[in-house]
Amino acid sequence: MKIQNRRDFLDTLVRGGFLTIIALVGGGLILRSRKSGNCTLNIPCDNCLKADECSYPEAISFRQTVWQLDPSKCIQCGRCATNCVLTPSAVKCVHVYAMCGYCDLCGGYFKPETRTLNTGAENQLCPTNALKRKFVEDPFFEYTIDEVLCIGCGKCVKGCGAFGNGSLQLQVRHDRCVNCNQCSIARNCPSGAYRRVPGNKPSLLKGYAKESPSINVKKVQV
Amino acid sequence: MKTRILIIGAVTILLVIIIFMARDLFLTRPKIESNPFEFEMDDLKKSDSSQIAYQEIKQFKPGLSEIYGIAVDPLDRVLVSGKEGVEIFTPEGIIQNRWPTEDGALTIATDQKGNIYLGMPDHIEIRDSTGRLIKTWKIPGEEPIITSIAVTDLFVFAADAGRKVVYRYDLSGTLLNRIGEKDPQNSIPGFIVPSPYFDLAPDRNGFIWIANPGRHELEKYNYEGKLLSKWGFASVTVDGFCGCCNPSHFTFLHDGSFVTSEKGIERVKVYSPQGDFKCIVAAPESFEEGTRGLDLTVDAHDRILVLDPVRKNIRIFVKKVVQKTDER
Repeated sequence: MKIQNRRDFLDTLVRGGFLTIIALVGGGLILRSRKSGNCTLNIPCDNCLKADECSYPEAISFRQTVWQLDPSKCIQCGRCATNCVLTPSAVKCVHVYAMCGYCDLCGGYFKPETRTLNTGAENQLCPTNALKRKFVEDPFFEYTIDEVLCIGCGKCVKGCGAFGNGSLQLQVRHDRCVNCNQCSIARNCPSGAYRRVPGNKPSLLKGYAKESPSINVKKVQV
Repeated sequence: MKTRILIIGAVTILLVIIIFMARDLFLTRPKIESNPFEFEMDDLKKSDSSQIAYQEIKQFKPGLSEIYGIAVDPLDRVLVSGKEGVEIFTPEGIIQNRWPTEDGALTIATDQKGNIYLGMPDHIEIRDSTGRLIKTWKIPGEEPIITSIAVTDLFVFAADAGRKVVYRYDLSGTLLNRIGEKDPQNSIPGFIVPSPYFDLAPDRNGFIWIANPGRHELEKYNYEGKLLSKWGFASVTVDGFCGCCNPSHFTFLHDGSFVTSEKGIERVKVYSPQGDFKCIVAAPESFEEGTRGLDLTVDAHDRILVLDPVRKNIRIFVKKVVQKTDER
């Protein structure tokens, strides 16, 4: 057996120490990368009690602030349809069903002068036929929004607010919104209705505390 | 000489350029572009001034933070219910009495003796004019919303916007029958009440008129609940009822004419006893945009009292005096 001198022993010790540190750091990174893979709880972040301190990437994204439109300040000027960097706009009409009167003569669906209440294009207030009307039972009709067609002009929102219960409201949809640093619509909004809100509470609705399924936000893009 | 002309020319051109630049910078205003997607509603709220047959003569402000209902008692005193209680005013609008209630009464009515009927969230209270409780009874069913009460010599009618039905009670509070429930066999369409505005009023002929706001109609029933007639149609024009659900309130003048109020296009109008449009009492420009809940009552002199919940005051309208000119 070869006898090591003090110099060789210290040299081996230092090398071993370096290798241990590299192994620890590498192992830690691997472990961390494995943890940040996928959440196994299989529940959306907005229903998860650990979302506020969770380190999974979807939870971190979920906690970012996002742009949202405050319906209590919105004047339905139509600029949401024309000022968004996306075409069509990321602003969409959402329906708070719990507030809806399911009216036959819906102020959000029909032009004010309409006499015959049918789905003829000439009667519809929506310029893109995004608001759908379906008979439920006399004299109730259900109104749903086709978000692919909706351009966020807010005509139906204004009509519903003026003549109905105000169940149609404009909201930024975060499955579309690219969350610009300076929102182009916010810059041009005449009523200052846009503001940043926490990503885990991205909806701003007026008039009713309960949220309908259609207004749950799916994902936050950052 | 030539150089001088060149210099003067150059300076002139420079000045012209500076003037144009200055005009662009300071004088021209940014062009306001009309938005093709804006829903313009101002035209809908314009009314023909020749159709306005009433003028506002007085306003007075109750001391309640929110006001809900108005009625006139046999002495022509004005009763106002609100969030904190009830206030009683002289016909001139001078406060006479006030007393608190546990909850805000959405509606108020009086009988011939001057007793005051209050529509509380889940019960009816009868009090004298000093606020002393005389009687109370519960409204049947879950989550009732009593939006209107009317009292005749023998009966009390209460409109429940929650259950979309009218209850008829005797004066002791015994429920006698329910009026207006959907009954296709007897051609009763049922009440459509999308928002909590559901009014009723007895006429001078012994019938009860009930608003069916979702159908934009006023329906006439006998006390047993048989539908006798109805009138009204949906329209933004002045002769119809606008929006999803109107009229929100109505009452009668002494000649049997109807006085109605609407939300959406805020206006108060008079219709003949047959339901033909007669005139405008208060045009949309008389109210703040978005005003809802314009409760109405008429006093012994046919003055129309309008409760304005946004301005939080009582507004009194009388018919304009038409001055006849002598033709020679």
